This record gives sequence, C-alpha cells and structure tokens, in this order.
Amino acid sequence: MAETKEIEMKEISPTGKAIIAVVLIPTIAALNYVGGVIVEALKAPIWGDTWGTMLGTLIGGFWVGAAGGFLYNIIMAFTMWGLPNWVWGFANVAVALITWFLMKMNLTDLKSLKTWAAVIGLFGFVYPAFTTAISIGVFGGGPLWKPIPAAVYAAVLKSTGNFYLANYLQNVSTEIIDKPISYAIAVIIASRIPKRFILAK
Amino acid sequence: MSEPIIKVERLAYSYPRKELVLYDINFEVNKGEVLGIIGPNGAGKSTLCKALNGLVPHFYGGKYGGRVVVAGMEVLEHTVAELSTKVGIVFQDPEEQMSGLALTVWEEVAFGLMMLGFPKEEIVRRVDEAIKQVGLEGFEKRSPFELSGGQQQRLAIATVLAVKPDVLVLDEPTAQLDPIGKFEVFSVIKRLAAEGSTIVVVEHEIEELATFADNILLLDQGRVKAYGPARDVLTQVEKLKSLGVDPPSVTELTYLLNKELGANLEVPITLDEAIKIYAEALGVS
Amino acid sequence: MSAGISLLKRTAVEANTIFQRLDGRVKFLYFIWATVLVYIFYDPYLTLAFLIVTLAMAAYAKVFKPIAMTLLIIIVPWIILGVLILALPFGFPWNKTVIGYINVLGYRLPVYLEGLGWGITWPLRISVAISSALFFYLTTNQAKLVATLFKMKVPFKAIYMIIATFQFIPLLFDEANTIIQAQISRGLKTDVGVLQRIKNYLAVVIPLTISALNKVQTRAITLESRGFSAPVKKTFLYEARLTAADWAFLGIMAAVTVFLAWVYVTIGYSPVAHLQWIWA
Repeated sequence: MAETKEIEMKEISPTGKAIIAVVLIPTIAALNYVGGVIVEALKAPIWGDTWGTMLGTLIGGFWVGAAGGFLYNIIMAFTMWGLPNWVWGFANVAVALITWFLMKMNLTDLKSLKTWAAVIGLFGFVYPAFTTAISIGVFGGGPLWKPIPAAVYAAVLKSTGNFYLANYLQNVSTEIIDKPISYAIAVIIASRIPKRFILAK
Repeated sequence: MSEPIIKVERLAYSYPRKELVLYDINFEVNKGEVLGIIGPNGAGKSTLCKALNGLVPHFYGGKYGGRVVVAGMEVLEHTVAELSTKVGIVFQDPEEQMSGLALTVWEEVAFGLMMLGFPKEEIVRRVDEAIKQVGLEGFEKRSPFELSGGQQQRLAIATVLAVKPDVLVLDEPTAQLDPIGKFEVFSVIKRLAAEGSTIVVVEHEIEELATFADNILLLDQGRVKAYGPARDVLTQVEKLKSLGVDPPSVTELTYLLNKELGANLEVPITLDEAIKIYAEALGVS
Repeated sequence: MSAGISLLKRTAVEANTIFQRLDGRVKFLYFIWATVLVYIFYDPYLTLAFLIVTLAMAAYAKVFKPIAMTLLIIIVPWIILGVLILALPFGFPWNKTVIGYINVLGYRLPVYLEGLGWGITWPLRISVAISSALFFYLTTNQAKLVATLFKMKVPFKAIYMIIATFQFIPLLFDEANTIIQAQISRGLKTDVGVLQRIKNYLAVVIPLTISALNKVQTRAITLESRGFSAPVKKTFLYEARLTAADWAFLGIMAAVTVFLAWVYVTIGYSPVAHLQWIWA
C-alpha cells in the first residue's frame, strides 16, 4: 500500500461509547422486564429477570449492567410492585457486581467445573444473604408466592423456628437454580453477539 | 458558481483496527444539487454518508485523512452535535431511528429541535411545516411505532427537515421498505429535490435515482470508480456491470442495441427519455 | 403479566381531571409521603385509610382499573398466603396471643394476633406504595413526566434512559410474541419437562436479545446525529409550574402530617389496632 503514504492519516479517538451506553442501559432494563414476562408465558422454572443485568455487565461493564438492572427495578417499583421495591435495585447491583467479579476472574467457561462452583457459591449462597436482608428489613420477610420456596419456608420455620433461617433458605432455594441458569443464558448470548457491542474490557 | 456546500478532498478512513474503507475520495456538491452514490455492497457508501456529518471519525474513532467541509465547517474540527444543524441524516431501518423519547409523531419530529434547544414557538412552527413536507398531516398524534414502514421513513425525513439542515443525507432510505413504502419515500425525495434541497443519497434503485440525481458517484472497495453528471456515469454500462451494479434497463438495452446491432441511438437513462428516443427512432410520435 | 404491558403502553387518550392537572412533583411527593407514613405507623386500619383515599382519587381520575388489577394480581395472593402461614401455628416465631380458633380439615387451629397483624399490615403497606406510585405515574403524561424529572434535577441522560425503557418494553414484548409464535409454529411445545422449558426459554430470548442489541448502535448513532449530546439547554414542551390546586393539595398533606404527628406522640404507632412491634 504505497499510496497510503500520500494521505496523512491521523488517529482519532471515538466518542461513541458514552452514547451507546445511554441506549444500551434502557435496552438492558427492558430485556430484564421482557425476560420475566417470557418466563411466565413459557412457564420456565426460574425468575428470569436478571440475566439482562448480567448480560449488560458482560458486554458493557459493571456500570452498564448495574444501571440497567437498577433502572429495571425502579420502573417496576413505579408501575407494578410499589415504591419500596426499588430497593431490589440494590440486589441487581449485587448481581452486576458478582457477574463483573466472575468476568474479571475469567470464570465464563460454562464447561469448566470451576465456573459452576463459583457461580453456585456466589449466586446460590452469598447473594441470598443479601436478598434476605432486604426482604426482612423492608418487606417484613415471609413466604414467597411461588409454591416450592413457600414450602421450603414453611418447613424450615416449622422445624427450626428460626425466622431468619427460614427466609434465607427460602431465598437460597430460588436463587440457586435461577441465577446460575440466568448466568449461563447471559454468557451464551454474550458469546454470540458481534464484537463491536462489547464495551467492557 | 459560489463555494460548494460539500467539499470532500482526499478523504481516507479506516475504522479502529480495520483495513481502509475509504481512500482518496474527492467530490463536491453545490447548493440545490442531488448527488447519488452507487456501488456494490461493502463499497463504503454508508461510511461515506457518516463522514459527512462527523459520525466518521468522531463517533467511531479510527484513522482519518484528508478533508471534508460542509457548509463552511470542517468536519474534523466540529462535533456531531454542531454538525447536526448543517447535515441531516436518514438511515435504512426506520424503526431503529425513532428516538425512544417521543410518544407521538409530533413529538418525534420535535425531538431534534428540543435537543438543540430551539425556542418552543419555533419548534411548533417548524414541526408543523416538516410534517406537511412529508405528507404526514393527520398522523401527529399517532405513535411512531404504529406507522407503516414507508410512513416511519417519511417521519424520519421530517425529523431531519425540521432542523432545516443545509444538506440532507439519505443512506439507502428505501432498502427495507415494501413497494408502496418505496413509492411514498421516493415521492418525498423527488419533491424535495425539485424544491431545491441539497441531497446526497445512497440508493440501489438506480432507475429511480436516474430520474432526480444531478451527479453520480460510483464507489467500489472504498475508491471512486466514476464521478460526474448522472448521464455520464450511468451510461458506462460495461464498467457498472463489471462491478455488479445494474444500470437502468433502458440504458442497458439501448447500449446493447448500439453495440450488438450497430444501432446509433442516443443512450437514455430514464424511461421518459427512452420513450422519446425510441418514438423518434421508430418514427411514431 | 400482560396487565403490566398494557399499563406501560399508555395511549394519548387521557382523562383531564384535577388530578391530571396537578404538578407531577406534587403527586410524586404524595406517593413518597403516603408510603413513608404507612411505614412509620404499624396499623392496618390506618394503612387501609390511606389506601382508600388513594383509590378514591384514582377512581376520580379514571385510573382505578389498572391500579385495582395490579393490586389484585400482587397483593391479594400475598395476603392470603402470608396470613395463612403467619397467623396459623406454622412457626412464626413471635406468635403468642391466640385470638380465636378455626377448623381446617378437621384440625382445630389457633389464630395468632401477631402473625395476623404482620400478614395483613405488610401487604397493605405495599398496596399504598403501589397505588400511590401508579396514581402518580398514570395521571402524569410523558411530556409532564419529563418536565417533572428535569425540575427534580435528574440529568437529561438519565431521563432519556427512564423514558426509553418505557418505550422499549412494549416493542420488545411485541417482538418476543412474534418469536414465541414462530417457535411454536416450528414445533415448540410449552407442556414439557423442566429442562425442555429452559431450552424453550433460550430459543426465545437469544434471538430477541440479539435483535435488540443490533438496534442499539443505530439508535445511538441517530440520537447523536440529532443533537442529543449538544451542550445546550434542552427545550421541553411542557413547563412544570405550581398552581393554586397544587398548593391546596400540599396544604392538605401538611395538615394531615401535623395531625398524624400528634397521633403518633399521644397514642402511638398503632393507634387503632394497637399492635406490638414484634421484633423489637
């Protein structure tokens, strides 16, 4: 390419990433919402409303995932769940944080046992401690309205009489299935989208 | 002739960590002219459009050389926001262009003016005018997402017209539309061209383009393969075909008649011209 | 859940009562105020009073139906399940005061005051929060919402993200429906085992997400081309301004606050039902 020397070329740094994040964040929030709706339609045995947050973190970094997840909760709080539910936004920030940590530790290979151990440990046991604190502190705790967790709740309460433990184990019983599946969904999707969308390093 | 509105000199560009997509591009567009850009897929047509309003290089970054001056502003030295009052750009997919902030057609058209901080009275005046220009009167209160593809694309054009840019850039505005949608959008473009708007349009529908483009630029692999008055470029039948671009059928037919059968007909580029030429040749009027 | 979608898919057809004309900030304040108060007090009757007032205003403003639907979907099952598990002897640790007995399948079970109060009060609190938030949201049109958020000093980019989410949800939902229908016509079955259901879920969300992400870049480019990042003061089509009605509404809220403060000091946090804080 001898000709290229004739035109003097300058290196220009892009300004587009900031605005892509502005559009990506509401898209992530909307995906969380619609993800939850599709779960209902297909009767999948998960919550399905956090993989958007995880995906946002995998492709846009911690802040995009956390903002998208938080925004989703704010909007749900305003329209469907009632104001106090905005505090679940922090649960989504925790989801983004855990995802970001997993990504930084290169735990994104779904065939590796190490990945699953970390995912189940962090999302299945650490994360429910956080959601339990929220559900008791803000909502007074108590059973969820899905049959299996409610049964776990009633059984633990009956056998131990420990209100906190019952709430925690109830949350473990939902998260330990939902979050690893959601994480797998997010990783699968992130691996299938064109590289130009990946803003996270 | 006064200073051209668009002046592109030795433009070269590559996206970050990619090969050159444009190299040594030169052309000018004067006020009131329509420049058509044609070429096979991957020729760099879209990138060239984005170079006119500063998305290239500012939004994407990358390596950039040469100069693009639009309405007296050098693109490299101004932000996309500054250039947005000079260059209005319309893309292929109508739905993706909706702002996401507007509930109605009227608000969608007002969006750009709101972003640029125009006074409210001015916004009201310009929005009504732009809606009229694209023939969407009566749809003001509809949701942009309830419109047909052709209507949405006309809406996208109206959002740009409301800002009254010096140049209108249309990047394959009919590529994703059905025949009715294409017809609607071409009608709007032709009317704007006839009213003296300065337009740069990338278009695969060459038959349509031939009816309103003043100049044509043929792009292939990021380089200009032909540039000049529409007639001069569109009658280079061999060259167009070798690059996979179909010239207008009447042009190709006449070219073949001349070449294969030794006819000596003037080569038309539009159907109207062809009818006239053939009527004369056949001795009917 | 499609009730949620229709809630978000607001049309331009709106009633125009005094509540629609109230300033968005006043209604926003109302919902924070009402929610905070029902959290400070621990009294189902008082909470119910707040709920009734809010629903009455909603009925006057012709937005009762969507709010009632939401409460029906979320709160009613919660109260039923919560009260059953908490008020009956299933181990709620603070249960001690028996207020009566009921017969369930031949068993005579005691009903506890603590569990009953807890099981009714919490969902009612949430009901107040939901209905007052929805009241604000459904009676404030989008242009006013944008103006309100702007007056509340929310940065413009954040305003965009909030409004855009509302717009993207119905769009994505329509697309999801199309994909589900397409997959069903290609043989996807919904009455299958757990693992297959998760696979079904993937078959829908992967194409949906990829299509949504593909739109992100064009939309970002369009925004940028239309001056989104222009460093100027944006023009809003609606200016938020407080009117006499707004001041009157604020006055009523202030008076009620004073009255309830007096109640709290003289009678306590549970002035009607006389419940005890149970985890104190």
